[in-house]
Amino acid sequence: MREVVITVRDVDAGYTTPVIRGISFDVYAGEIFVILGGSGCGKSTLLKHMIGLNPPLAGEIRLMGDRLFGVPQEERLRALRHFGVTYQSGALFGSMTLLENVCVPLDSFTDLPREARYLVAEMKLELVGLKEYADYFPSDISGGMRKRAAIARAMALDPRILFLDEPSAGLDPVTSAELDRLILHLRDTQGVTVVMVTHELASIFAIADRCVMLDKQEQRLIATGSPAELRDHSELPAVRAFFNREAKNPS
Amino acid sequence: MEISLPETCSAAAVAGLWRSALPAVARLGRGDTLELDAGAVGSCGGAGEALIVELYRRSARQGFDIACRDGRGVVARTLELFAVGNFAEDPAMTHPPRKTATAVQVGEAVVGIWQTICEQMAFLGEATVATATLLFRPRRLRLRDTLLHFERAGIDALPITLLIGFLFGLIVAFMAAATMRQFGVEVYVADLISIGLFRELGALITAIILAGRSGSAFAAEIGTMKVNEEVDALETLGLPPVTFLALPRVFAATLAMPLLTIFAIGAGLLGGAVVMAALGLPSTVYWNRIIKATTLNNVLLGLFKAAVFGLLVGLVGCAQGLQTGRTADAVGRAATAAVVGSLVLITIFDGLFAVLFHVLGI
Repeated sequence: MREVVITVRDVDAGYTTPVIRGISFDVYAGEIFVILGGSGCGKSTLLKHMIGLNPPLAGEIRLMGDRLFGVPQEERLRALRHFGVTYQSGALFGSMTLLENVCVPLDSFTDLPREARYLVAEMKLELVGLKEYADYFPSDISGGMRKRAAIARAMALDPRILFLDEPSAGLDPVTSAELDRLILHLRDTQGVTVVMVTHELASIFAIADRCVMLDKQEQRLIATGSPAELRDHSELPAVRAFFNREAKNPS
Repeated sequence: MEISLPETCSAAAVAGLWRSALPAVARLGRGDTLELDAGAVGSCGGAGEALIVELYRRSARQGFDIACRDGRGVVARTLELFAVGNFAEDPAMTHPPRKTATAVQVGEAVVGIWQTICEQMAFLGEATVATATLLFRPRRLRLRDTLLHFERAGIDALPITLLIGFLFGLIVAFMAAATMRQFGVEVYVADLISIGLFRELGALITAIILAGRSGSAFAAEIGTMKVNEEVDALETLGLPPVTFLALPRVFAATLAMPLLTIFAIGAGLLGGAVVMAALGLPSTVYWNRIIKATTLNNVLLGLFKAAVFGLLVGLVGCAQGLQTGRTADAVGRAATAAVVGSLVLITIFDGLFAVLFHVLGI
């Protein structure tokens, strides 16, 4: 039986009023799981609930069995240790080099001596192909490199789960494909479970094992399955329109 | 020598080994053998992988052999993923903490000051040209933005200005009265407050409030816009950022300052009245002295200085905002520089005005 690492049950996602209601799904260990849907459907809002930035309006989310909301601070901190997050912009600290960025969580949450922390950080950068740029500042490197560096920082404490918010946004197809390959490489070598929010079809078909699709009109989760299943077998107009890139109001 | 890796090679589990085992490993040399027992390792995180790489790196450097029991292939997998040759240097030496020599820091500071002066002069020139252009095309001024900034810098600042003005008048009156009473001339405290507030202190304290409250806000707002590439967007739309962003703020600050100063002076006079009443001086006497001591010259000089101080706060705040770097900490530095720069210029100009008015006999 496959290990469940994330459980989402009856979640209403939104800040004051629900954008999407009654979402339930499980994410299994080692899979690349994609949350997809059109703009404004609540993908990023749901992601924010999952990573503990905002509490869901209803329902429960568990990461490795731990909850992030309504629990003592120690339990919340333990739950936070289970995952790493990379944001759309990378969100690297601009006043630090890439090596220092990766060292931030290591400095704060490990008892390793300095040379060990440096070596771990270098190895994380090597993992994403940026060891040669360890002393560069985020402003000195390209957008794709920033996202890879952000992944290295998110992986610094060996999380079991890696959340990626629109990793391909703003990247050219080649860089985007390189990033997809890196995500696969991380999954295969580090055994990390990847949860990704995106609407890049090329990335979805290249790396996703399973996806869930949210719909803005119906305010609910409308489909679950592998990308190929959704594309080839779904009868739902919204799913077909998404995968076939059909405009709603063609002129 | 033997090192046994724990079942879970997490950072917490490996940190002790780094400290206890590696000093002994440093003493190994050619002909020695390190027995590395990784047979029990079930999961290996980044810290465990780093320890394995470190041991093999030292083996290559010091010449000792490693006899490895690698039951589940963790060591082999790590060495396959991370080529030891890629980590030949000591990371702590390769990436030493950033330290800059004092002489270099002094040099950079001097160059920085010079660059700031040049940039401020360039901005002043641009603002002058933009203002001159407005004389011919007044509709280019964004009136709605100007009024909005007037509201934020002026009307919204009224409560703090009134409070500080009142307390300032209270304190000055109390301190002056305590001394003057010894000579029986406490009635002249009213003269001191009137001349002091109208001619000098009213404009000065209001300018300090404006610099701290609005000058920093101007720099932070425009700086954040620059970080978000909104300033770039304006330039590519053909809209000069100085006209679009800076002038409404500069005009708002210049207009708001004299009005705020009037309120600050009024509150200060009231503060003085409270102290004098408490000391037993009839309020009619106090207000009579105030009216006699207040000259049109002093009022106009105070308001003129207030307008100039407002102009300076607006200009420095906007200049710092437009010269912000592209990072979040640059916005913070710009806001700080706006306040510091404004205060320095206000002090310098206040001194210049004092000398100028003295020479002119005003």
